[in-house]
Amino acid sequence: MSAPHTRVLVCCGSGGVGKTSLSAALAIKLARSGLRVAVLTIDPARRLADGLGVGALGNDAREVPLRALFGDDGGGRLDALMLDARSTFDNLVRRFAPDARAAQRVLDNRYYQFASTRLGGSHEYMAMERLLELVQSDAYDVVVLDTPPTRHALDFLRAPERMSGLMDQGVLKWLVMPAGVGGWRALEFGSEAVSSVLKALLGEGTVGEIAEFFDAFRGLGDGMRQRSLAVRALLRAPTTRFFLVSSPAAAARAEALFFLAVLREERMPFGGFLINRVAAAPPAFSRADWAGRSPAEALALDAVDALCAEQADLAAAHAKAVAALRAEGPAGAACWLVPEQSGELHELSALIALGAALPDAASVWGADGPGA
Amino acid sequence: MTMSGQAPRVVLVTGKGGVGKTVVSASLALHYASIGLRTVLVETAGATNVSALFGRTGSGYALTELRPRLSTLSLTPEAAIEDYVVQQIRFKRLYTMVFKNRVMGPFIDAVPGLHDAVQLGKVFDLSRERRAGGHAWDRVVVDAPATGHGLTMLGSARSMMELTRAGPLHEGVKQVQDVIGDPRHTAVLLVSLAEGLPVNETIELWERLGESRALLRGVALNLCLPSPISAADWRDGSGVLDAVPNGAALRALVERRLHRVEQQAAAAERLHAATGAPVRALSDLRAARDGLNGRPWAEPDLLRLAAQLEPSGLGL
Repeated sequence: MSAPHTRVLVCCGSGGVGKTSLSAALAIKLARSGLRVAVLTIDPARRLADGLGVGALGNDAREVPLRALFGDDGGGRLDALMLDARSTFDNLVRRFAPDARAAQRVLDNRYYQFASTRLGGSHEYMAMERLLELVQSDAYDVVVLDTPPTRHALDFLRAPERMSGLMDQGVLKWLVMPAGVGGWRALEFGSEAVSSVLKALLGEGTVGEIAEFFDAFRGLGDGMRQRSLAVRALLRAPTTRFFLVSSPAAAARAEALFFLAVLREERMPFGGFLINRVAAAPPAFSRADWAGRSPAEALALDAVDALCAEQADLAAAHAKAVAALRAEGPAGAACWLVPEQSGELHELSALIALGAALPDAASVWGADGPGA
Repeated sequence: MTMSGQAPRVVLVTGKGGVGKTVVSASLALHYASIGLRTVLVETAGATNVSALFGRTGSGYALTELRPRLSTLSLTPEAAIEDYVVQQIRFKRLYTMVFKNRVMGPFIDAVPGLHDAVQLGKVFDLSRERRAGGHAWDRVVVDAPATGHGLTMLGSARSMMELTRAGPLHEGVKQVQDVIGDPRHTAVLLVSLAEGLPVNETIELWERLGESRALLRGVALNLCLPSPISAADWRDGSGVLDAVPNGAALRALVERRLHRVEQQAAAAERLHAATGAPVRALSDLRAARDGLNGRPWAEPDLLRLAAQLEPSGLGL
């Protein structure tokens, strides 16, 4: 491995809990503490650019001007990237094709063009690849990964297995070899039936094109499979941490716990809960202390009273929700509470305020952490 | 023809993750059932949040009756593929052999867009299902996936058509596209929040809808909070708080809310200006949303949101 010490932080959770803002805030915080950090979003909804206020993001790293934004960069560096599934896939094809002609044959195939761009799933495949590239580039101490909402993040975690399954020589041989070729007797009966079913569903022409794609892809198979095994290993590495981002809402907590079970099953390292938008208790106020005021003042005081009562209810419910989540998580699990913010979250001041409540490198990896 | 006869049979509800698509979908579906329309509420990508909202345990891909005239089911790509393929080839055993096959599994998984297209296909089937001489369902309300993937799903039939060019699957998705792409049969309702990112994303989503823009009937601006006082009254009376040490904190509490209310109005204006569609402000029913005091969502909450949505005014 060219860069065994790069750390990976993955933020997962249900939609709308603030994964993108927290990822950005976390990346800013780590960079300002002197680390070289990359933050990558794979969300096709393009939120990170908004979150960092740096305009359009693309597949190539774009440096966030820490010094200009904060007056100092703390000796660190922050790059932001948004996954471009097509370019990442193209690069991969070029790298593993035996020669330029073979690469071009894949790139020109119509099935490839669909697989690599327009349709669901390719983002997940390629995010893993991009993550591995960033880690192996040796350019960063930490890579922070913002993932899509839970269900799609699952596709994402399982993408390496799907890719290596797809690249399995069995599939390729089977698809491109006519039935009856030696060594495949066990599959022969099945393969004819399979082939007729596929043709009935997709039409003969399409099956032909897909087979051609796999044939063209065959030369890449081994390299791609190695690659997806490396990603699989990266997700389980001791230097990787998965943060489960939640809000106090019941549905978001349920998703976080669901994801926790998946992490256990997949033996991927859990780093703790980040609970976002936790309401604070209101300032002390008693309407009874304010008797005998003018009608205008009474109106204002009633408004204060109403909002204090509402806020107190909310804070009490959130405290209960946090306790419930912690009780269901592993004993002693780390848990960071991020208070509700009042400003717009794409403002940098708000991202810095968020960062104050988030983990630092030492609390994630202990004394062994980057920069230690 | 009645108003409901003219309204689209399929309503797709989509928006950024966490904006409350499920609650808005459930409100709309319950509203339809309450005015006598047979309604099915469809969850996608294996989500199973609807049943809990109605205090029930769902049964996944099988229909669960929640209330008279209201049923729900949760689509998973796997079940939808099985359903479709078994329908096409008629032999369950052949399906099992082909699709559960160690070799073929990964291949089928990798056919791009198949997952999205078969789910959309199931929605189409529901909208066409016949029962006792009429349609089985007057309304099919779909709690569609979050923004990016919702778009992919909406465009999946068209993409599959281009991918397949000919053959039975091509014919199948073409039929789906004819209905899903037609504003007489299908409507899209976007859900947004009154904050910068979700508003930007909703507008971006609308821009990327392309040909499907014609389907948009309205935008629901969810989780709106009321103000306990007008800005003018607050200005006139709030000076009284300066007398106490925590007056600034108390002021901030109310002023944040006043700011929030302004933000809501601005968001509604921006969304309307960008999409041209009517924008409906829906209340943040916090007690239900955060499960305050253990109180779950109740039918009156959902119907209250539906009344704010005013579906008939949106042609829904």
